[in-house]
Amino acid sequence: MKQLFDSDLELVVETDFIYMPLLFDPEIEREIQDFQSGKPLENPIKPETKSIIKLKGKHFIKTLNLHSFIDNYEAINPYSYQRLRNECLRKYQLTREVDGHFLDETLRLILFRITPYFIKKNKGLNRKKISDEEILDLIGEKTNIPEKYYKEAKTFGDLKPLKKILEELKNQKPLFKMTENGLHSDRKLHDWIHKAIQAKVMASEHHRIEKALKLREQWNQTKPEHIAILLYIADTGSLEIDGFGFTRHNSYKGEYLVYKRTGDYVLKDYYARSYLFPECRVAVSTYSPSMPFVMEKYKHPFLLGHKTGQEICMKDFVPSNEFKAENVIRTLEEGLTAMRYGYNGRKRNGYHSLDKMWVHIPTIDFEDYRI
Amino acid sequence: MDLLKDIKRKRVKQRQKKPIKRDAFNQISGLVRQYGLEKSFLDGLDEVEDYLATKELKFARIRLKVPVESPLFSLVTKEEYFLTMSVIKKVDCPYLRFAHSPEEVLLCKPLYRLNPALSPERLMRYHFETLYLHERTKVKNIG
Repeated sequence: MKQLFDSDLELVVETDFIYMPLLFDPEIEREIQDFQSGKPLENPIKPETKSIIKLKGKHFIKTLNLHSFIDNYEAINPYSYQRLRNECLRKYQLTREVDGHFLDETLRLILFRITPYFIKKNKGLNRKKISDEEILDLIGEKTNIPEKYYKEAKTFGDLKPLKKILEELKNQKPLFKMTENGLHSDRKLHDWIHKAIQAKVMASEHHRIEKALKLREQWNQTKPEHIAILLYIADTGSLEIDGFGFTRHNSYKGEYLVYKRTGDYVLKDYYARSYLFPECRVAVSTYSPSMPFVMEKYKHPFLLGHKTGQEICMKDFVPSNEFKAENVIRTLEEGLTAMRYGYNGRKRNGYHSLDKMWVHIPTIDFEDYRI
Repeated sequence: MDLLKDIKRKRVKQRQKKPIKRDAFNQISGLVRQYGLEKSFLDGLDEVEDYLATKELKFARIRLKVPVESPLFSLVTKEEYFLTMSVIKKVDCPYLRFAHSPEEVLLCKPLYRLNPALSPERLMRYHFETLYLHERTKVKNIG
């Protein structure tokens, strides 16, 4: 089918059927001659409509019903259908991800409750609460949002096309006009079929359009720049400002890792020798928040090994399992404090000591950090 | 008992698989499509006899046939169909269904004229040029 529609053939549309150019062999030629002389065909496809038509000296044979072809296109060519569907949904910003992330409570909580705590907005002693709009302004200032998201924000804010589609669906108007009868180039018919399939996709997404429209009406008062920022975050799933950031979880859908960078810091050993530790990201997962952990491959007296994703050893800290902004902030702060200030050289607390204490027992070596 | 045996034998015979014989249409239409032959090829069919009469072909080596995968049931466009039918009509020779290339199609008629009783095995194995030269040498020697 794909080969047929990608060829340079001329096709005929007649009474909702596609007629393909007739291929010949001696038997077919005999049948055609009989047909032209008035004899009926032995096995006509449908007796009430013509099986073979002649146009501009060429014979065409009845093949597919256009309605049936469009209705069953998903089964005929699943890959192409998906591609067309995605293209169509993207055109109206109707992808599940975008609407889903706009309604995602976890993301809103991170963005508007946790982020303000970690990013420095106020100068001096002035510590007023930052509003949601100010947060988005700040993100806009500090993050380079690609131009395409501003364009998408315009589409997102334009409710007219969706309203029109919804109205047409409610009035049960057909979303596409049948193509005219007659000879069509293969390319023209191909384009028409694509349009018809996209119209069918829109009809099948009736509920989603309604939902999206409601959501967009809620966000209608929001500045387009803010919409662009939210679209950017929804698309990339991550953001970082002033060493604080979050990134979408690869394994758990709709969950995030919230992190803060430690910056370089110095720890002292038993003999007061200094060790310069490189920066790392201390993170907490929104999926059942528990102990904070280090995202990178890292070594530290409070980490058991030298690998990625290690939980920080914190003896007296019991994290809350409830996902709340205060709990995430507290866990992150506890983790950062433990990493930067928790190690006591005199007590040699943690899994390892900075100075080599057990000469014959292999343990993590920090000599390369010594300054 | 004889009648019963007879019926059983007939039924076994009916059930036997019968090989599909490739006909000239499937073979030639396959060549028309594969080599993209055009109407000018028909002129070549008219001129081949004159060409063979004037040109001194030499028997250099035995040429074997080029293997060709022709379809069992060929369907072609209107133009290809009429060209195929014209070729079949013009050559009108039982050797045509053994032709594996346009060159062999051209040599069909002259070869048939030299020897109309060549076995299908030979026609399937050797290139028509080799067979033609061989038959022509035989005729010359007799002469």
